[in-house]
Amino acid sequence: MHGRPRKPQKPVDDASIAKAAKLRVLQAQFFQNHHDKIYAKEALEISAKLLETNPEAYTAWNYRKLAVEHNLRSETDPDAIKAVLDEELRVVESALRRNFKCYGAWHHRKWVLNKGYSSVDHEFRLLDQFQKADSRNFHAWSYRRFVAALKNMSEEEELKYTTDMIETNFSNYSAWHNRSVLLSHLLKQKIEGFTPREKVLTEEYELVHQALFTDPDDQSGWFYHFWLLDQTVTPGAPVLVSSWPAHGSDLFVSFKGNLDGGVSSSFTSFCSDKGAFPLIIYFNQSVGGINSSTVTVKHLFDKNEDLIWVPLATNNSGNAQAWVTFLRFPDVKDDSLKAYPVEVKVGHSQCAFTVSLRSIDSKHGEGGSDMEMIVWKDDSFHASEPLLLSPPVVSLDQATTNKEPEQIDSRWHEETLANEIALFQELLSEINCKIGKLTLARLLRAHDKMIYKMPFADEKTHSKEVLDLFSDLMKLDPSHSRYYKDEHSLVLMEQVVSNRESLLTYCWKYGEAHPSYLCNPICLRLSKLSLSRIGSFENLLWVQMLDLSHNELWSIEGLEAMQLLSCLNLSNNKLRSFTALEPLKLLKSLKVLNISYNEIGAHSIDTSRYLFSSPLSHTVGDDWNIDAYVTDGVKMNYWEAAVIFKGLYLTQLDVVGNAIVDEKFNLFLTHILPSLVWLDGDRVY
Amino acid sequence: MDAGQSSLSPTTSFDRDRHVRFLKMMFHGLPSGYQEQEINHLTLAYFVISGLDIFGALDQVALVWSPIHIGEQTRPMTVFQRGFMPVDKEEIANWVLSFQARPKSKADLENGQFYGFHGSRTSMFPPDSSNVLIHNNSHLASTYCALAILKIVGYNLSSIDPDSILISMKNLQQPDGSFMPIHTGAEADLRFVFCAAAICFVLNNWSGIDREKAKDYILNCQSYDGGFGLVPGSESHGGATYCAVAALRLMGFIEDDLLSKMTSSSIINVPLLLEWSLQRQTIGGGLQGRPNKASDSCYAFWVGGVLKILGAHKFLDKEALCEFLLTCQSQYGGFSKFPGQLPDLYHSFYAMSAFSLLEEPDLKSLCVELGVTDFAA
Repeated sequence: MHGRPRKPQKPVDDASIAKAAKLRVLQAQFFQNHHDKIYAKEALEISAKLLETNPEAYTAWNYRKLAVEHNLRSETDPDAIKAVLDEELRVVESALRRNFKCYGAWHHRKWVLNKGYSSVDHEFRLLDQFQKADSRNFHAWSYRRFVAALKNMSEEEELKYTTDMIETNFSNYSAWHNRSVLLSHLLKQKIEGFTPREKVLTEEYELVHQALFTDPDDQSGWFYHFWLLDQTVTPGAPVLVSSWPAHGSDLFVSFKGNLDGGVSSSFTSFCSDKGAFPLIIYFNQSVGGINSSTVTVKHLFDKNEDLIWVPLATNNSGNAQAWVTFLRFPDVKDDSLKAYPVEVKVGHSQCAFTVSLRSIDSKHGEGGSDMEMIVWKDDSFHASEPLLLSPPVVSLDQATTNKEPEQIDSRWHEETLANEIALFQELLSEINCKIGKLTLARLLRAHDKMIYKMPFADEKTHSKEVLDLFSDLMKLDPSHSRYYKDEHSLVLMEQVVSNRESLLTYCWKYGEAHPSYLCNPICLRLSKLSLSRIGSFENLLWVQMLDLSHNELWSIEGLEAMQLLSCLNLSNNKLRSFTALEPLKLLKSLKVLNISYNEIGAHSIDTSRYLFSSPLSHTVGDDWNIDAYVTDGVKMNYWEAAVIFKGLYLTQLDVVGNAIVDEKFNLFLTHILPSLVWLDGDRVY
Repeated sequence: MDAGQSSLSPTTSFDRDRHVRFLKMMFHGLPSGYQEQEINHLTLAYFVISGLDIFGALDQVALVWSPIHIGEQTRPMTVFQRGFMPVDKEEIANWVLSFQARPKSKADLENGQFYGFHGSRTSMFPPDSSNVLIHNNSHLASTYCALAILKIVGYNLSSIDPDSILISMKNLQQPDGSFMPIHTGAEADLRFVFCAAAICFVLNNWSGIDREKAKDYILNCQSYDGGFGLVPGSESHGGATYCAVAALRLMGFIEDDLLSKMTSSSIINVPLLLEWSLQRQTIGGGLQGRPNKASDSCYAFWVGGVLKILGAHKFLDKEALCEFLLTCQSQYGGFSKFPGQLPDLYHSFYAMSAFSLLEEPDLKSLCVELGVTDFAA
């Protein structure tokens, strides 16, 4: 009789023969009783014996529930009821002694306790025994939370229990976990004795230091410390950190043509042929609900306009760190360079800038032909004349924020972080501990972020030290090196773009002549930095030309905030798929794209994603018929490309050096991108 | 390792042939140690059949004795040689289908019971004279395992009436979005949210689950450290984290290769989850289910699977993980929980699945979030 696993034919020894036989007899009797709905004492004893031998037989637990319900139906004497339920507790207890990881047994106990006839104190005594035997048993910890709630135990008392458990053994992660859950509640509800928050957290830091310094290699304390840090620096209300046009800037908008380079800084000029320019606001965290009623924009062009704000994110959550709208300006040929003030207010944040309009004949200026190819070679760029005007790096006075009165004292924040930093710097000078280094790196970054928020603070940051820590970690813990590498990249990027002097060394002027869509010919060249991720977009909103070639990028998450981008070089990176390029879908100004020499098509592509209905499938429009171009099995590869490219108006694209590229694919690209003039350096006709 | 365990000393490479032999043995009969798991018979069958499928060995399992004629022509003699042939997939499918609880009529679907699959023969009772089930013990986990097996053996699932399973499955979803495994009452947690999602995915019909509610429940289970607990507020656990992430993936709330896309705008906290999962790799190379616990072979799948779904499996030290798993490899085939112990079916199946995630040659690749091979999925 094949086709199914079954009972052994040759039991190993006599003991197991006997046990198997006993189980079989019990089981047969039990199921007979269950079937016949017999709930008498003898029948119950049989099920108890079965469960004591095999607690996993969940049908027997359910039988006992039916039996209890049946036997108590007409019972009103509280003592009799209690006796019935006590018997249940006894069976559970002996089942648990046999296997305390049995879900069914713990559940049965909760079911009995919920009847409300049993002594909760007895449960605590039992738990103490179990938790001594196995202090990490998560069933016991869950059950503990259950009975504590049933007894209406104060959370303070339970917190005390975790203190005892932790003091017995610092490595008890379960106790630390329960502590964090309890404290979260206590802090949130501002229970007496748990305010001010700062005082409580300071005491917790002291407790966890004991654990960390006793055994720095134990992860439990470090995770708790991580939680504390999170409690310390939890961002409050969202704050506007950056915008384009930048706060305090004077923007020159020219329509129909190029700006004359002598008049203004390239960093604050924009040309438009659509009678509008983008207004981008960037927050310190992802926010939702940005619309014309939550954001006030005061400007003189068109007072009655209801602005439409669009979140810059590729999912449909409606939340994003960056939001964009378009401000229309009047069609006046006003060459007086009159400055129109614009004010933007969001919650407690605001920013203000002025806009001057110029209309310029498109033939005027230094413009090259729009049909000309952008060449990403070193000799296309020069460190032109000293750039007198600086790029609008987010500065301390950038977005003025009104402090909310409830905000936690930032001095305490800073002191706490400084104190933690000093402590771990000292610890790490004595021992080499990877999770310690990671914690220190986190503390330093949190500290830098806080400094950055405080006006008039010393601008000096710890980037160098953090970079060293991540470099160390890559060597110390090579198995996670790619993870550290990502962190390293983000800090490096921050270091490069966070102050004017540094940023200017990466700014190059492109060519002598440039096409009209590129009114700002300054290229930010962040190539050959071995970046695997990119960040710090709040400082880069002004960039129209970006060179990220020769890095190790495998994601360009966040790039969608750079709405002004018209030329982008991503060649010689490690991008694996077209879906990794999803942010490009939102860059409507993009004209020139270089993704040559990546790994697109070299790895298998997830083909199931488009095959079943999911909330995500909205990302694939149904207005475009791929079958017209592709008829065989490679459809999926092409789908992903189509999804990215179909909304773009690229004039120049480089894709050579990716596994997916062949003649057929290139043909497909010219079909899907009718605006294309250059493909891999060849003219498209 | 002490002398008494020397017979279990680890072998140095993945011993494919012995593992197939181990699973074949289990296919033909389970040792007595499994009697306590009788109630989960279908689940045990899933381990064996899905395991054989990973090896592509379902085609050589059934035991046959074929006659060979030897001897001189004057005194012919026939002996039987042992050989293997493909399993009878139809027979397996029929066996699995025999565990299905069927409602008497459509109206029954509103009676609050769940009409899925029973875990074992003993928990099934024949219907009474009027064809009504006296005790219906169908269980979500058994239903998931039953459908997984049917898919593996290539059974045409469209011949199953999805309504009887799915409409009645709705009765199991709790107001908070979690699922109870059985309508007579049991603990509700992430394990059964996963089962429910997998059942809908396999049947390609989502009417049995309120996905928004299920999603909210899962999100409530993510702990501050990034992992997921079985119920909201509980300690993060490797198995629960798999259930959460796989269920979100099956329901389409997170995408494949999440990391190269929008991690910051994802509905779960991906950076924290990534870090928690990666920190589960211990100095010895194995993966643990929770901090400060010993490495256990099955978490090479639970935690490794989470990393695979996130597109972050590459961050693991794969060599070290292989080495750890091989210390759990038994010389008789199969894997044990910890190094040097006797192998068991559960840990064997998940260690074998982990080797598939590690791209061991000649193993079929897995549809991680469903727990069956890509081919079957």
